[in-house]
Amino acid sequence: MNRRRVVVTGLGLVTPLGVGTAPTWQGLLAGRIATGPVRSFDAGPYRVDRGAEITGFCPEHHLQRVPAESIGRASQFAAAAARMAVADAGLDDVPSPAMAERSGVAMGTTSGEPAEIERFDDAWIAGRSAESDPRFVQRYPFHVIAQNVAAEVGFRGPVRMLPNACAAGNYAVAQATELLRSGAVDRMLAGGADIFSRITYSGFARLGAVAPDRCRPFDRERRGMIPGEGAGVLLLETLEAARARGAHIYAEVAGYGLSCDAHHMTGAHPTGDGAVRAMERALSSAGAVPGDVSYVSAHGTGTQANDRVEAIAIQRLFGARAAATPVSSIKSMIGHTMGAASAIEAAVCALAVRDGWIPPTANFVAADDDCHLDFVPNVARRLPVKLAMNNAYAFGGSNASVLFRAVDA
Amino acid sequence: MSRRIGITGVGLVSALADEPLAFHRALRAGARALQPVVEESLPDLAGRPHAPLPDFAPERYLGADANLRPLDGAGRRLASAAALALDASGWSPSMRAAEPVGLVVGTMFAGMRTIAEFDRRALEAGPQYVMPLDFANTVFNAAAGQAAIRYRLTGPNATLGGGPVAAVQALGYAAQLIRSGQVRAVLAGGVDELSREALVCMARAGLLSAAAGAENSSGRPGAPVPFDTRRDGCALGEGAVLFMIEAIDDALERGAPILAEIVSSASAWAPPGEAGSGEDPVADALARVISTALADAGLAPEQLDAWSSSASGAISGDVTEARGFVAALGAAASTIAVTAVKGALGEALGAAGALQTLVLLGAMRDGFLPGVAGLEAGEPGLGIRLQAAEQAVDLKNGLVTAVGFEGAVEALVVRRWEGDPHAAR
Repeated sequence: MNRRRVVVTGLGLVTPLGVGTAPTWQGLLAGRIATGPVRSFDAGPYRVDRGAEITGFCPEHHLQRVPAESIGRASQFAAAAARMAVADAGLDDVPSPAMAERSGVAMGTTSGEPAEIERFDDAWIAGRSAESDPRFVQRYPFHVIAQNVAAEVGFRGPVRMLPNACAAGNYAVAQATELLRSGAVDRMLAGGADIFSRITYSGFARLGAVAPDRCRPFDRERRGMIPGEGAGVLLLETLEAARARGAHIYAEVAGYGLSCDAHHMTGAHPTGDGAVRAMERALSSAGAVPGDVSYVSAHGTGTQANDRVEAIAIQRLFGARAAATPVSSIKSMIGHTMGAASAIEAAVCALAVRDGWIPPTANFVAADDDCHLDFVPNVARRLPVKLAMNNAYAFGGSNASVLFRAVDA
Repeated sequence: MSRRIGITGVGLVSALADEPLAFHRALRAGARALQPVVEESLPDLAGRPHAPLPDFAPERYLGADANLRPLDGAGRRLASAAALALDASGWSPSMRAAEPVGLVVGTMFAGMRTIAEFDRRALEAGPQYVMPLDFANTVFNAAAGQAAIRYRLTGPNATLGGGPVAAVQALGYAAQLIRSGQVRAVLAGGVDELSREALVCMARAGLLSAAAGAENSSGRPGAPVPFDTRRDGCALGEGAVLFMIEAIDDALERGAPILAEIVSSASAWAPPGEAGSGEDPVADALARVISTALADAGLAPEQLDAWSSSASGAISGDVTEARGFVAALGAAASTIAVTAVKGALGEALGAAGALQTLVLLGAMRDGFLPGVAGLEAGEPGLGIRLQAAEQAVDLKNGLVTAVGFEGAVEALVVRRWEGDPHAAR
C-alpha cells in the first residue's frame, strides 16, 4: 500500500527539567532529578510530599496570539510547547490561510484544566456557586486545550482532544498520524498536557501510589510514582512535504498500536496481555519485528504493579532478545506528567533517533528478582537508535505503543 | 479504493426512548422531553427547561444482578448503550473473545459530577477520606474504560472531547481506525450526564434557555427551540448512544444487517468572530467541511436528501450553522429537508451528534423525517426549509453537521445501504 509517510520535524517541551527542548534533553541525558517537595499547595494533609512541579514558566514569553491570562495553566503549557514546535520545524509564526486549513491539532490530557474546577468547588463549598466564574465553560472543559493550541498557532484544520489519561499523548500522536495518512491534513501538532493538581495528588496519595522520596522505576526498592506536570508537542507532517521544504527530520512515525486491557480501571492486566497486543500491533503496522527495536521508552511509573507487569510484557514480546533491548523510564527524573507523559516521551524517542543517545533510568540501585532487563541504570548511553518504541498505559486499561524510526537521508 | 464502512447496530438511552424504533416514532410525533429543573438549592436554575433521562434504571440494560457500584452516572449511561448496541449488532461474547472490538466515545463533561464531588470530599473531610473507586472515575475516559471492562472490549479505547461535535468526530475516527487496519469493529458514539455542576456552569455562561415566564440575560422571554425567533439558549440534555461500526464486507460476510453506510466526514476549527464584526469564521469553516465531506462522498448539493442540524436554540450558534449550510449547498439549500433533534431532546452534548445521526437512520428506514419540535416561527432569512411537522422523504444521502462551543465544526455524510454485496468489495 502506497500510504503517506509521517515524520517529526519539530518539538516543543515544557517539563520539570526546564522550559524548552534543550534543558529537558540535556537534563535527561545528565540524569538530573527534577522531583522535590510540593510547593503549589499545602501537602500537610497528605502522608507524602513529593512532586515534580514546573517553576519559572512565563507563558507571556512564549505565546504570541492568545493572552496568557485568558486560558488555564494546562493550555498555557500546551500552547507554549506548540509554539516551540512550530518554530523548531522552521514554519512561519502565522500560517497562510490555505496552509492553516490543512493544519490540525490532536492533544491528550488526563485532567484537562483541573485548577478551574478546583476554583469552582471552592465557590461551591462557600455556598457561592451562583457567583462562580461565568467563563468557567470557556476555560474548564478539557477540549479547550487543543482549541487554545490551534488559536495560538493559527491552525484551522481538525482539532481533536483525547483525554485518554496517561496514554493520552500517544493516542494523540496516533490520531494525528491517521489524519495525515488519510490525506485530510498536511501537518499536525500532536501532544499532551497536564498540570500538577490537588485532585490528582489526592487520588494517587489515597491509592498509596506516591513515592515518599524518589521515583525508582523497575528498581527492587521502588515505592511509587511522583505526580508531575508539563507538555510535549510534536510537529508532524508528511515525509514528502518535509523533504520538499528541506525541513530537518527527527524521525518517522513508523506505526502504532492501541488496545484495551478490559480488565481493571487502575491496575494492569497481571500478565500484560493488553500491553503485548499494543506492542505487537505497533510492530506489525510498521512492518517491523521485535529484533528491529533499538530502544524501549517505558511507561515505567515506579509503582510495584506497573513496572512488574510492564517487564513481563516486554519479556513476553521480546523473548530471548529481551535482556539485550535497552529499556528506560524518564519518569525517574521528571515524575509522571500524566497526559503529557507519553507526548514528552515521544519527543524523547525522536531525539534519541536523531542524536544516538538514550536517557537512563535514574535512581536505580538493584533490579527486581523478576525484572531481568537492561534498564540503562543511571547513565545515559550512546547508541544508534534505528527504531524506538514508546509505551504508555492508562487508567481505564488503555494501552498505546508508538514507533519512531530513523529516516534514511 | 478504501473499504466501505457501515453501521450494524445501535444502542441508546435518551430522554425520549431507549429503542431506535420508539425513538423515531416519538420524534416523528413531535414529542419533547423537556421539563423544568426542580432544584431549590440553586435558585438560578429553578424552572429552566432541561431534558433528563426519565426513570433511568441501568439494571434494565446491565442485568438485575449487575454490580453497579464501580460505575458513575456517565459510566452507567455508556455501559447501557454498549449493552444494547452489542446485542443489536449481534457481537456476542464469544465473538468479542476472538476479535478485539474498539470503543470511541465523544463527551464534554464526562465524569464532571464525580470529579467535583471527589475534590469537595477531599477538601471537606480530608484527602484520606476520598474513595479509590471514585478516583478511578475522575479520569475523563473512565466511562469508556468501565464499558470495556464490562463487555470485554479489547480494541482501541479512545475518548474524544468537544461536546456537540464529539460524537460526530467519534464516528469519523472509528471509520478511520477500521480503514487503517487497526481494528475490525468499533462501538462509536457519545455520552454525557446531566449534573448540577453542568447546569450551574452553563447557566452562568448564559447558554441555557430561561425559565418559562422569565426573561433571560438578553432580556427576552425564551424558548429552547432550534432556529425559532424566540430562541434564547439551549435546554441541557443527556444520554448515551453507541453505533457498531464495521467494514461492510465483514458485516455482509457474517450476515449482519447494515443500517447505513458512513461515507465521509470532515472536521475543522475556527476562532469565533467578534460580535458585530460582520464576519463569521465558524460559518465559513462549517461550509468548508460540508463541501469536503460532500466531495469525498461524490455528491453534488442537489443529491443531498436531508440535513440533521446541531442547532439547539443558541442565539448566534444556530444562525452560524444555517449560514455555513447555505454557503456550502448554494441554491440547493432551500430544497433540502431539515431536522434539528435538540428541540425534542435538548443539548445532549457528547451524545448529541449520535442522536442527530440516528434520526437520519430512522428516516432512511421508514421514509419520514421528523421536523423541528417546538418550532413556531422560524428565524427569517436563513434560506433553509424549516417546519415543525414531519415530512415524507426518500432519504438516500443524509448530512449531519455539528457546531461546538468556541469554534469546532464537523460534517458527516451517511448513506442508505441498498444491498448490493458486490459494491462493498
